[in-house]
Amino acid sequence: MIPEDAIERLLDGCKVISKECELQSISEWEIVGTQGYGRSLDIEAGRISLASGGGEGGFGVRILNNGRYGYAHLVDVSGAKHAVSQALSIAKASPSIAGFSLPSAEKTNPVDGMLDETILKLSPDDLLTQGDDIISEVTSLDKRAVVIGGGIGIGAEAGVMLSSQGIEASGISTSHGLGVQVSIDVDDQMTSSWESSSSRKLIEGIPDCVATAVEWAQKTRDPIEIQSDAQDTPVIMTSQGISSLFSNIIRPSILGERMVRGESYWSGKLNEVVLDNHLTMMDDRRMEGGFGSGSRDGEGVPTSCHTIIENGTLRKMLWSSRDAAKNVSEGRIDAAESTGSASRGSHMSPPTTGCGDVHLLSSKPPMSLDEMIETMGTGYVVHSVMGAHTANPTSGDFSVTSSTVLRIEEGEILGPIKQAGVSGNLFKALSKEVSLGHSSTRNGVSSTGTNHLSNVLFAQGMRINPA
Amino acid sequence: MVIQSERASATSYSSRYLDRTKMNNALSNALTFGASYAEIRLMAETTSSVRLKDGQLEHAIPGQEIGATLRILADGAWGVHSTTDISNIPNEIEATVRLAKAVAARRPSGSNPIQLAEIPIHQDEIHWKSKKDVRNTDLDTKLSMLDNIHQSANDDERIISVSCGWSDEHLHTELLTTEGMDRTWSFQRSMVNGMVTARDGGDPVSYRMRHGGEGGLELIEACDLQSLGGDARIAALRLLKAERSPSGKLPLIADRDLTGVYIHEALGHPCEADLVAAGDSCLDGKLGQKIGNEIVTVVDDPTMRGGYGAYPIDDEGLDTREKTLIKNGVLTDYLNHRETAHHFGLEPNAGARAQDGLHHPLVRMSNTMIMGGSFNDIDELMEDIEYGVYACGSRGGQVDTGRGSFQFAAQEAYLIENGEITTPLRDVSVSGLTLQILNDVDGLTKDAKLASPGFCGKGQTVPVGDGGPIMRIREALVG
Repeated sequence: MIPEDAIERLLDGCKVISKECELQSISEWEIVGTQGYGRSLDIEAGRISLASGGGEGGFGVRILNNGRYGYAHLVDVSGAKHAVSQALSIAKASPSIAGFSLPSAEKTNPVDGMLDETILKLSPDDLLTQGDDIISEVTSLDKRAVVIGGGIGIGAEAGVMLSSQGIEASGISTSHGLGVQVSIDVDDQMTSSWESSSSRKLIEGIPDCVATAVEWAQKTRDPIEIQSDAQDTPVIMTSQGISSLFSNIIRPSILGERMVRGESYWSGKLNEVVLDNHLTMMDDRRMEGGFGSGSRDGEGVPTSCHTIIENGTLRKMLWSSRDAAKNVSEGRIDAAESTGSASRGSHMSPPTTGCGDVHLLSSKPPMSLDEMIETMGTGYVVHSVMGAHTANPTSGDFSVTSSTVLRIEEGEILGPIKQAGVSGNLFKALSKEVSLGHSSTRNGVSSTGTNHLSNVLFAQGMRINPA
Repeated sequence: MVIQSERASATSYSSRYLDRTKMNNALSNALTFGASYAEIRLMAETTSSVRLKDGQLEHAIPGQEIGATLRILADGAWGVHSTTDISNIPNEIEATVRLAKAVAARRPSGSNPIQLAEIPIHQDEIHWKSKKDVRNTDLDTKLSMLDNIHQSANDDERIISVSCGWSDEHLHTELLTTEGMDRTWSFQRSMVNGMVTARDGGDPVSYRMRHGGEGGLELIEACDLQSLGGDARIAALRLLKAERSPSGKLPLIADRDLTGVYIHEALGHPCEADLVAAGDSCLDGKLGQKIGNEIVTVVDDPTMRGGYGAYPIDDEGLDTREKTLIKNGVLTDYLNHRETAHHFGLEPNAGARAQDGLHHPLVRMSNTMIMGGSFNDIDELMEDIEYGVYACGSRGGQVDTGRGSFQFAAQEAYLIENGEITTPLRDVSVSGLTLQILNDVDGLTKDAKLASPGFCGKGQTVPVGDGGPIMRIREALVG
């Protein structure tokens, strides 16, 4: 799937751009080159509708002259002179950041589990067979169930970084992901559920998410009527339900710049208790096979695992080297340095501070979903939500909708309800009377990181508004 | 990585990237290998984004991107190859035909092969030239305009940060097909946006603004940027004192922004024929049926120049046109591409859009609007409401097209009490069921217009416009 000389080709491209930087007398420069290769298939209406393959990539060049910063991106290295000139002219218009230098080369150890050679050897037929197996599995689990949407993708990405400060790093990572939208549309009633799974290793056979999708399409059939106005009530959010809200509200709040600018709910609360006192939150950029992990961050700085919140107390915020230098020079914070937390969406984006693999952990014994339901007594289980992106990341307020809601009374599942509004403030809801489930699930996978969350029981801070 | 056959100059409209002879030969080979249809679509993008944070340049990123997608139909199934390595496309023809045939070989018995509706074949170029080509706008001009927004947005000690952004793009597309289509088209989009964060001792609040559309610098010059920033400042300060929204089923009035998001989410997505064909739309089988109040007429119109979702030709080479999705409450059309038009026996209506040159086209919206009604203004809409909510400005929305349930969120809102706007509210969202709420729309003002530009995600992200008049919903789930 990936050419044997992919790294060499990228390195050659980076060198062409670096020569242009030197010709234009740029003191500090940093070039990244990425090239992704992949195969995928789409599933629609119970069949594979399309198969695709290909590759894409390009280069990004960041320059620094007297603390002034510029960036440009390009696909074709024959345009290097133009791109570097543009970056230089932008740098001239940028404010100088005192004390900002591009990171120097430091030794780092590789992170395990980023590459699975077996993915590189997968043929289009292998992928099609997995697609067919998933479609068949859904039907075998429930004859009424159909995979109406989704797909499977495998990818390999080669990346290179070259800088004037002596960084020359490269690597190849792989990924395998699949998602299914399973629907049961009979008796004038349509229910559905979306589930997905992803890994840097080969996903062999049929992952659990396929059965989970069928299960939730079944569970939400024949909704019961709830005669209730909106009420504050205990809620269990499954790991899938909480993840999208967590991504939109919690992850941005631990970024250093947002903290020191007062844009985070947790601004000014360093070393104060911000979460329930048994909760610990880690940002791990060195997790084996982590989608937000790697040996270096987006600026080439060696990565670490950071304890952001320890037993409920906010201990740390995340920085890239540029954000750290900028906010120190502008007087927002006395001292800050890179935490190895620079992320890049692609070669088209300059590095910005971001989270890696974020884990929410508890020092209390974990609970199974059944135990949570029994403990909750009366309330709701919310499995997935719509509109998490409309949450307010500054205040933490959210008001979303769910069509996968179960009503619980006296520790028993009474039945699903058709639709409900779910609202609250996630910062406040996580600050007390929270219980976590057993194992955490990887979800919210993106190019800039992943959540590892378990089911969460909120005893307070949630409001349910049945439709 | 890329060898371009003919490099476009910085601000030209007519240069071409694809070598016609080589690529047409490659397409002919696809037919020889057994394809029934093949196309090569290339998109070259010249982009610029600028971000100002608290009045200082945070970043300015110029970019040149290019990508192409080879799409082949063989034995009634699709094989696709996407690449930034344009010169290598001819080498991928045979493998992509094989891929399509492999998909076809696994088609379940009884499942129909994919066929395409016929469309007119053109060999031409269409360039929507901006009055002021945005590629000629220098960084100082962009910074000066963003600073205008910043200055007016920042003019209060309770404002703790202001970020302002600029983005523009010149999009150049070429399409060659085995049917003889050879079309080149281009257009531009420009946008400014901002986010104001305020704090007054308590929790922080934020308010965001956007202005832009299809076109060049003239679009931004036509905007009163000081008002854009000033209005955002005032809204953010208002939110500091806003109260938590009541929850429950209430009468709702939505401003133009929210009306647009509502119709995009609640109706537009379920009207996308690829979702209907997949069994993932609550509007399946409802063509010709009354699904809404007779005052509701909805159009999707990519020819609406200046709208953020405007484009001259769809990504299958079809001239764009206005589509009436609902006429007086009756569902009259789906949004289609060639495959779904054939599937449903409908006229193709140029709804095929791809995110860029590296993605294949899906059925997408463009500029989607509810048409105006009979009410003169918001006061008339409110006068019968004893207790309800007036919601304004969009924070976005989402829909479950199969179940027909949707959600959208407002930037700010107010209580309506006895026909009057009273208490400011924050973090209001609205949810409902498409087929129910379309019947509950019971009042529209006369003046329908596009609102703020937006983006729509469906695996791929595309710019869209939406809007309408001010709308009243008899009862909606507010939270």
